[in-house]
Amino acid sequence: MTFWLTVLGMVAVTFGSRFAGLALRTELPDFWVRFLHFVPIAVFAALVTPSVEGGFGEGEIRLAAAVAAGLVAWRTANLGLAIAVGMLAFWLLRIPF
Amino acid sequence: MVPERRQGSFAAGFRAMVPLWLGVVPFGLAYAVLARDAGLSLVETQSLSVLVFAGSAQVSAVGLFGTGAAAAEIVLTTFLLNVRHVLYGLALGRRIPLSGWRRPTAAYFLTDEAFGVVAAREERTFAFLLGAELSLFTTWNLSTLGGAIAGGAIPDPEKLGIDLIFPLAFLALLVPLVRARVDLIVALAAGGLAYVVSRELPGGLPILVAGVAGSLVGAALTHGRPADDPSLDDAAREVA
Repeated sequence: MTFWLTVLGMVAVTFGSRFAGLALRTELPDFWVRFLHFVPIAVFAALVTPSVEGGFGEGEIRLAAAVAAGLVAWRTANLGLAIAVGMLAFWLLRIPF
Repeated sequence: MVPERRQGSFAAGFRAMVPLWLGVVPFGLAYAVLARDAGLSLVETQSLSVLVFAGSAQVSAVGLFGTGAAAAEIVLTTFLLNVRHVLYGLALGRRIPLSGWRRPTAAYFLTDEAFGVVAAREERTFAFLLGAELSLFTTWNLSTLGGAIAGGAIPDPEKLGIDLIFPLAFLALLVPLVRARVDLIVALAAGGLAYVVSRELPGGLPILVAGVAGSLVGAALTHGRPADDPSLDDAAREVA
């Protein structure tokens, strides 16, 4: 019973967060329109840096893989190709020689 | 720019997420294994994936269930991990017109990844957004089911390094958006701040803090430019 009450609470705070932003439909001042323009750029950057390093002492090769993926994304803007090249670089670099 | 061809359809949205499946499946499996280890039943494990549908929050929650944490503690952790979605909703609400039942539906299935793919592309339809969202929902739930059934026979995805897919994906979405010097400043500021904050605070909060701070920097630096300056908007869309 406690489990399902906890789940209900989790659903409430998760759905609440997801719905709150979408529900706001008022006209915003210019400053906040420009703010929202930068949200994807700021959020994507914030999703990258904390997790590139990883927890297994492989920070350097993970960073090298990220550089490879970043270069592919810069030249092609192709999400799938950038991920594939990055992961391939990572797995190749991690083979012990 | 993308050629005009079935743009913005549900199927296009669904397909746009396929590169991320490789990262989602191992984590869905791993989550389910952790949940079963923590003593959750098959139904309970699957219910979290259907009802909450938030990977990092689910993993944290089952860890806390396993240690017998209080309900309030689990709900608060979930909130802290997920409150960043407010930001995604604000940004998406301006890009895609949503009315009636579409708004709660789009909200229910919203994730980092779906927001990422939609915010980085030109498609601005509810169908494309829902396709991207359900692509992840389906994959997450099927891999949850697989992990809950297969149990401990599954290797830890972090040891295989598959968790690297997520930062790679967001980097690949970010790079084409950085076109002006102010974009680069915002990306460096937010990335640097998130890195520092992540040393002190759990999962979702650094994204919220750095997302807000970086966007404030961008808005302040573009002071005096009209808000609907097409150069501002095109920069955000020209990716494919």
